Amino acid sequence: MMKDAFGGIVLSTSFRWLVPFSIVYGVIILCLGEYSPGGGFQAGALLSVGVLLSRIILGWDTTFDVKGTTSVWLAGAGTFLYAFTGWLTLLGGADYFLDYNFFPIHIEPMHEMHAWSIFLIEIGVATCVMMTIINLLEAIVKRSEENVGSN
Amino acid sequence: MRGLVAVLLAVVTGIFCSYVTFLPKIGDVNTAPNQHVTPTYISRSAEDTGSPNIVTGVIIDYRGFDTMYETTVMFLAGLTTVLVLTSNTVGRRPEKGADEPEGGAIIK
Amino acid sequence: MQIYFVEAVLLVFLILITCAVIFCKDILSAVVIYSSFSFTAVLLYLMMGSPDVAFTECVIGAISTIFFVAVLRKIDRWCD
Repeated sequence: MMKDAFGGIVLSTSFRWLVPFSIVYGVIILCLGEYSPGGGFQAGALLSVGVLLSRIILGWDTTFDVKGTTSVWLAGAGTFLYAFTGWLTLLGGADYFLDYNFFPIHIEPMHEMHAWSIFLIEIGVATCVMMTIINLLEAIVKRSEENVGSN
Repeated sequence: MRGLVAVLLAVVTGIFCSYVTFLPKIGDVNTAPNQHVTPTYISRSAEDTGSPNIVTGVIIDYRGFDTMYETTVMFLAGLTTVLVLTSNTVGRRPEKGADEPEGGAIIK
Repeated sequence: MQIYFVEAVLLVFLILITCAVIFCKDILSAVVIYSSFSFTAVLLYLMMGSPDVAFTECVIGAISTIFFVAVLRKIDRWCD
């Protein structure tokens, strides 16, 4: 179950130094998504890079142990958060879907309210992308283990 | 031989692409999108969406409905791939024995 | 005129990298060469003035390389 060192001690140590920077950079991209290039998709991909690297190096079960059902559930929850923001604007009295002017929580400058709605949506997109990528690699690893174990 | 065929196909596709001349040039001012939509987005995006980044404003605010279904499609594609990969009836080695696990390995 | 020359060089480089990936016998080498394809595409997107697309391509190239290497390790087929 990927317990052994990945590619020698030099590669493992250098990748271990790479992991926290990748995760912190993903969080920065997520929080500054509306001021700089990038957004929810890229942030989720960077976070999943950090998680996958640490899981490959430090052992598949030891760190960030997101089980298969949990990651599927979280990916669905991220997609739901996006749609839920749209429903919130509808509840606030908007005429059409995702009209951020009618977000129920009132913050006084209008562009500030837009910014918080965009941030909520980007959290949803980032969660969905991150959990989908983790899920895919986990499915591949589980399947190859089954095939190895059967013969 | 197969690699040669692939390279030949790539060359033919490149020739086809290079003969598409009826598309407008990149950055032409007189085309329709450069005359109506793009100047409106560039001039009004900051005050409409409150985001200095025009790309984020267009993707999430003006075209938010598209992005929602983009995310949904990606989630469904990942879910389907996981279901296909973890189902025990697809691509399994034969003569495995009598003790068959039931259902997928991840989703049960 | 100069910028067109650099773009043409990058496009030719893209085609050469694709041929190298097709004709490479070693799987791990093909994966590494494919990551350089992604890097050249990033340079092209930056030259066309779209940093968002370049950033996405960069991240996706890194993720696909990690995927390929992890799966190659899992199926015990490092070389050939």
